[in-house]
Formats: sequence, structure tokens, C-alpha cells
Amino acid sequence: MRFRCERDGLVDALGAAGRAVASRGGSLPVLSGVRVELAGDRLSLIGSDLDLTIGVEVEVAGEADGVAVVPAKIASDLVRSLEAGAVEVHVEGDEAHIAAGRFQSSIRLLPADEFPRLPEPAPDAVTLAAKDFALALHQVVPAASADDARPILTGVLMAAEGDGLRFVATDSYRLAVRDLPGTSVLREGQSVLVPSRALRELERLLGAAGEVTLRLGERDATFEIARTRLTTRLIEGEFPNYRGLIPSTYPNRLTVGREALLDAARRVRLMAREATPVRLSMSADGLELVAITQDVGQAHEQLDAKYEGTELTVAFNPEYLLDGVEVTPGDEITVETVDHQKPAVIRSTEGSEFLYLLMPVRV
Amino acid sequence: MRLVIARCSVDYSGRLAAHLPPANRLLMVKADGCVAVHADGGAYKPLMWMTAPNRLVEREGSWVVTNPKGETLTIAVEEILSDTSWPLGADPGLEKDGVEAHLQALLAANCERIAAGLRLVRREYPTDVGPVDLLCRAPDGTTLAVEIKRRGEIDGVEQLSRYLDFLNRDPMLRPVRGVFVAQQVRPQARVLAADRGIRWLEVDYDELRGIESSEQRLF
Repeated sequence: MRFRCERDGLVDALGAAGRAVASRGGSLPVLSGVRVELAGDRLSLIGSDLDLTIGVEVEVAGEADGVAVVPAKIASDLVRSLEAGAVEVHVEGDEAHIAAGRFQSSIRLLPADEFPRLPEPAPDAVTLAAKDFALALHQVVPAASADDARPILTGVLMAAEGDGLRFVATDSYRLAVRDLPGTSVLREGQSVLVPSRALRELERLLGAAGEVTLRLGERDATFEIARTRLTTRLIEGEFPNYRGLIPSTYPNRLTVGREALLDAARRVRLMAREATPVRLSMSADGLELVAITQDVGQAHEQLDAKYEGTELTVAFNPEYLLDGVEVTPGDEITVETVDHQKPAVIRSTEGSEFLYLLMPVRV
Repeated sequence: MRLVIARCSVDYSGRLAAHLPPANRLLMVKADGCVAVHADGGAYKPLMWMTAPNRLVEREGSWVVTNPKGETLTIAVEEILSDTSWPLGADPGLEKDGVEAHLQALLAANCERIAAGLRLVRREYPTDVGPVDLLCRAPDGTTLAVEIKRRGEIDGVEQLSRYLDFLNRDPMLRPVRGVFVAQQVRPQARVLAADRGIRWLEVDYDELRGIESSEQRLF
């Protein structure tokens, strides 16, 4: 294999494919590498840890076709460290030679024949507007659990809902639901559970892309953005029955400016140390945020707000509260509550496409 | 264990070429042949190293370490400041991390969490290839070997398979079935366990400890 290309293109491709590479080779050391294949002027790079696979294609000036697996980190670090301009790569025996300007190096390759065959994406494809998809991921993915001990909760549920697509994620402390109306991806009643790690990578790849193509297989989902393809294994198992968690009516309803609440919560949070919650005291006079940490101090701030209901104080984990308010669209939001122990719902006053359910903290 | 403090420069050639300019460093030569070059910082990680098997040739002012892959570590020794050797003897090995050992103790005290009616026979039941975490007896008289991990990977299933192989040679115990328990069992480990007829089970460490957070859960 021999080709020439621009450093920046190769850095981006190695970086993107490298994000799926297994941090430790585990039982398959070859997975610590990126598989590079040259066919004509098309260079394909693939990184995988078997759960997540990212493939990228770049145009190069190809001279001799071939396949090799280069150690991901060292190859990426090395190419990134080169001066901008042309890079020449050729593979000879079990070494890849990388040269740029007066720099020359050789990297010992990993055995290409040990790189596993990865599944082909499903033939049926649906194309979606990348901007809406990225926004939905931005709103929902942070609510997914990072705790591997509960693997079902590390996924984001994508389900058919009416004539659209619904995203749901929960870590059991909060729940985010986002609807994309008019987006028919799944059959009626169909749902899949996509690992949040894969969707975080997808959100990063979506960037300024115009469209994303989704292919759903039996056990995996593939997302194609321009010349990048991300394939993730789906999580098997039953997602919790989230619908039953959302109360149908709320006796108390607070309406408050989103930015004002965000700013106040960020200030007051500074006094909420060591798992101390932020208390929201809601009354006809408005909203008061309070945080008290023994031996540290206290902070409180009064906000103008409209409140309908009985006087109530509810405590929340400040991080979870901020996460929800930050991704709720619009200038004004509502916080609907039943009492100080039941979950509260945060929504925008401007639409019903996003909902954030948040469990209070016992004080 | 040989510890040499020396002013030296080091060159590595192999996957890449790398050079350490002259400075005072610790050269560590372990009984199994591993050679490591340490600076006075950087935690546990050597600046350069070569694992065994390798060949160390010591000449006047120069050490050359080579391995079968053709990699070479060349240490140019300018001055030796200290050269000591200490036999450390056999190492007892790394103890299981706290969570894993605690999981074992919690499940030993409450075998019902693994299967209804299960009774503990012994913790750390010895086999010829190492001790299995729990040996239990089911109500129907079947013996169960339980291997407990914090993260359930393929290696853990392989380990339990080896224990089962040896345990099933004992006429007093067989048939012995396996249960692989972890806080999380990786998909590949699930497939391998199912393929080998081993049951796998995920457990919640906090729940086993009876920890109730002030943060209430939705479900």
C-alpha cells in the first residue's frame, strides 16, 4: 500500500476512526488499531471495539492498493504532530512508513488478518435532517446513565410515536423525552435501545452536516454522515415503562424565565457542596432558590415567577436541575409539581416536544 | 531485583525510534529479566522499558537489551552512582480489589440472590487451577460454582470454565454447574457463557449493601 495525502485530512480520519478503538485491546489486541484500506484513490479507515465501529473515507493520491492495521494512538499522535502539508505513507512487510518533509518514521503494524469482519449495514435506509437529530440527541443523551452496572439505562430509547420518532433516556433520577414529529424511521410499535456512548459520538460527528442516514438492523444501527459511518450494537433488554412515571395532572405550576433560572441556579449551586441539594421554594411571591452546606455557608436568590398552586418547597440535585433547564427550549419554562416527594416536570411554554422529569431529593 | 542509579542516555529502536538525553536515572533489572528506565517522577511508569523475554548484554559503559521482536534498548552509562541487588523472593500476587472481595462476601452471606434456595458450601473453594469464589449447593443437590467479578468480561468466563473442568472431575461434586456474577456482564461474555452452558447474573452492589441514597429514584 502506498499513498500521499494532506496531513489535515488524515488527522481527522484517524481521529474519527480512533474514537471507536478499544482503549485496551482486551482479548483482541488488533482492536487497538485502525484498519486502513486503500482502493484506487479511496482510503477507508475503520476503528472498532466490537460494540461501536466508526469508518471514514478520504480521498488520497493512491499508488498501490493494500490493507494494514496501524496502532491507533501512536499513528494518530504521530500524524497530528507533523507540519501541515503532504504526508506520504507506504506499507512494507509488517511496517508502515510515514514521511513528511524531512521527517521519517516507521510503525510496526498489527496483523490485518486478525481484524474481525464487521457486520454490513442493513439495506433499508431513512434520511433525516441532521440539525433536528443533533438537537434531540443534545437534549436527551445527558439523561442516560453512565453506570455500566445498569446497562439498559446506558441506552437511549428510540421509539415510533404517532407519525414521528421519540427519544427517551433516564438514569433513574431524571428522564428526558423528546419527540421529532413527522420523522418516520421505525414501524408502528417498534423501538430500539441505542447505547448513549454511540449517540455522543454521533452528536460530535453530526456537527454542521446537512443529513444523516439511518439503517436499522436486527442487532445494530448504522448512521451515515457524508463519508463517515458509525455502527453501534443495540442494547438488548426492556426499557423501563417510563409512561407510567409521568403524572397526568399537576396541582402546582411555576412559570419562570429560563435564563434567569439558569443564572440563579448556577450561582446558588456554588454553595451546594457534597451532594447538597438546591431547594426551590415556590409561592405566589415567586421563586426562591436556596442552598445551605453546613460549615461552608449558604446562598439564596429570589426570582420573579408566576405560580399557581399551594406553597411548596422541593429540593433537587443542582446538576440534574441545570441539565434539564439548559436543554429545555424557549425563553420561559414551567416546573410542574405534585408535592415535595413526587417527580417534577420541566417543559417549555413554547412547545410540547420536550419534557424533562426530575426526581426530588429527600431533605 | 537490581537497582542502578546512573547518569545515562538511552536509545530505543523498534516500533519507533526514541532517545533519552543524558540524565540521572534509575535502571531497574527484575529477576525475570525486565529492564525499566525510570526518572524521579511520573508515578509508576518507566520512561522506557523492555519486558521479558529479552537479552541483556553489559559492556563497559553500555548496556544493550534486545528482544525476539528485534527491538533494542541501548543504555549508554556515563557514571554509576549506586548499584544494589536485593532478592525479593516470590510475590504473593495482587489482592482482589475491595469491591470484588466485598461482593464475594455479600453474596456468600446471601446466596439466595444468586438462586432461590442456594446454600453456601465454601468460599474460595480450592481447585488445582486456583480457588473458585463460591461453591454452593442447590435444593436439588446440584453443585454450583460461582465466579464473581466487578466487570464481567470474557476472561472471567474462561476462568470459570477452567474451574468447572476440574471440579467436574471430582465424583463427589459432579455435576457442577457454573454461575458467572458481575455488576455488569459484557455482551461478548454473555454469549460465551451461554455457549458454555454457564448462567450469568448481574447484581447491584449498592442494593446488596442495603445503601439507600437520599436521592430518590424514579423506579
